[in-house]
Amino acid sequence: MSDHLAIETADLWKRYDDVEALRGLNLQVPTGSICGFLGRNGAGKTTAIKVLLGMARPTKGTARVLGVAPNDAGAAAMRQRIGFVSDEKDLYDYMTVGEIIAFTRPLFPGWRRELEQTYLATFELPPHRGIKDLSRGTRTKLALLLALCRGAELLILDEPTSGLDPAMAEDVLRALVGHVAGQETTIFFSSHQLSEVDQICDHVAIVDRGRLVLGGALDDLRGRYQRVQFVFAGEAPHASLKTPGIVRVQRQGRVLTVLTNDSEAVIADARALSPASIDASPVTLKDIFLESVRTED
Amino acid sequence: MLWHKAWLETRWRFVTGLLILTVMTGVSVYEYVLALRMMPLADSVLAGDASPLGAVLRDAITVQREFRGFIWYNAFRDNLTTMGVLFAVLLGCGGVLAEGKKGTALFTLSLPVTRRRLLGTRAGMGLAQCFVIAMIPPLTIPLLAPAVGQQFSVVDALAHGLCLFFVGALFYSLAAFLSTMFGDFWRPLLIAFGVACVAAMAQFAAPEYGLFRIMNGEDYFRNGTLPWMGFVTSAVLASALLYGAAETLERRDF
Repeated sequence: MSDHLAIETADLWKRYDDVEALRGLNLQVPTGSICGFLGRNGAGKTTAIKVLLGMARPTKGTARVLGVAPNDAGAAAMRQRIGFVSDEKDLYDYMTVGEIIAFTRPLFPGWRRELEQTYLATFELPPHRGIKDLSRGTRTKLALLLALCRGAELLILDEPTSGLDPAMAEDVLRALVGHVAGQETTIFFSSHQLSEVDQICDHVAIVDRGRLVLGGALDDLRGRYQRVQFVFAGEAPHASLKTPGIVRVQRQGRVLTVLTNDSEAVIADARALSPASIDASPVTLKDIFLESVRTED
Repeated sequence: MLWHKAWLETRWRFVTGLLILTVMTGVSVYEYVLALRMMPLADSVLAGDASPLGAVLRDAITVQREFRGFIWYNAFRDNLTTMGVLFAVLLGCGGVLAEGKKGTALFTLSLPVTRRRLLGTRAGMGLAQCFVIAMIPPLTIPLLAPAVGQQFSVVDALAHGLCLFFVGALFYSLAAFLSTMFGDFWRPLLIAFGVACVAAMAQFAAPEYGLFRIMNGEDYFRNGTLPWMGFVTSAVLASALLYGAAETLERRDF
């Protein structure tokens, strides 16, 4: 387990009754990165987060968060260094905004009072309003304040913008980016919004059916993957391309589209099919995500 | 701050329980005046009744002829025991597993505290509330007794309060244990009441060993001796249940 990794899992398995939620997850999140954690519904994202925070015990395998195993004796101290926003964002509805801040503050010695004041103002949070009376968006902002002000080294955010309108989601993302700019914080951020991940993340980890299917620096992935389009004079041939690195091949009329991480080899291989034109173009995160989870079907 | 959270979560149950038990106890004090007026009537009705039921009723009337007996029979034996169990169980229900239903368990578990500390704080608060609910209502009796021309010893009130507390703590711990096994509020509540009903029925078979005999302080009332064995047994069982609750919670996935 490496010091430069904020999160590291090795062959992590988690079984709930007859469902394998995690199936050998190998995850590495470098310290200081903003890592988007992507996957379809039920891919194992929330389960992985629960295991990382010690809320669920792995069936097999190991996990280390900030160098500590989440179920070790030191796990409570480890959580002092972590900010967390859950998918549900439910907070104690019998407290007011001010009360839950006052409740959380003493549990974190590194609590940032000046940030608390800043976010109270920025997010327009009313300290005397009961949590049960807050809208979902305002509750999300409060949950974010409670995570960001902990002075945490690692923020684990489970779909922090789910259920928010685009303007509020933008506010939240801006707050996150602004927060990280000022300090050495790692953000591990699960989301279904690929545009958000594309906007703020420098690393991604894509999981499908409890396994990591793709991970690494976003720029590397974007640079590595290309879409190569072959246009033929007639119907695109059905001959199969054997070149290593092909992620997906799609035929449509005269066009053969290949997603690959070795475009030169694919082009060289496909020349034998005599295409009329060849066009290699960069791919988006959405393409990478969709193709990564599709290849597992 | 965890104490504050535990307080906020249970304060209405606690305040309601304290008020109801205190008012019921106060009412019992004032009812003595009415009961004294009814005694001759009861005597005349039961005068010729030689049946076993008649004997039981005569015994009950004999006990209640004096203020101390009336209070024991109506307050400690009936109201405070029944309602004490009810509110001890109500206070014991809930906790971090039940928070799962409300969606707040993940926030709680993300805090830098162990599950044992969460449970320990909640149990500490709950047992303190049980203690107050067990002690305050009996202590109102010596305060109110002069209003009906009677006296009631503070020592007797404290002794009966202790009896209520020890068995109440056992039912509290049972509910707390069941709340680490079932994520809803109702199953722990119903199972704990079920156990209380079984215990009440078992008392008919072996009255001298009954839980409720310890709780209503019958030995203290009749002989002036506190049921120390009952206290120790209740404390040991309550500790075992809270230990079991901590172990169960520790192993739980959320």
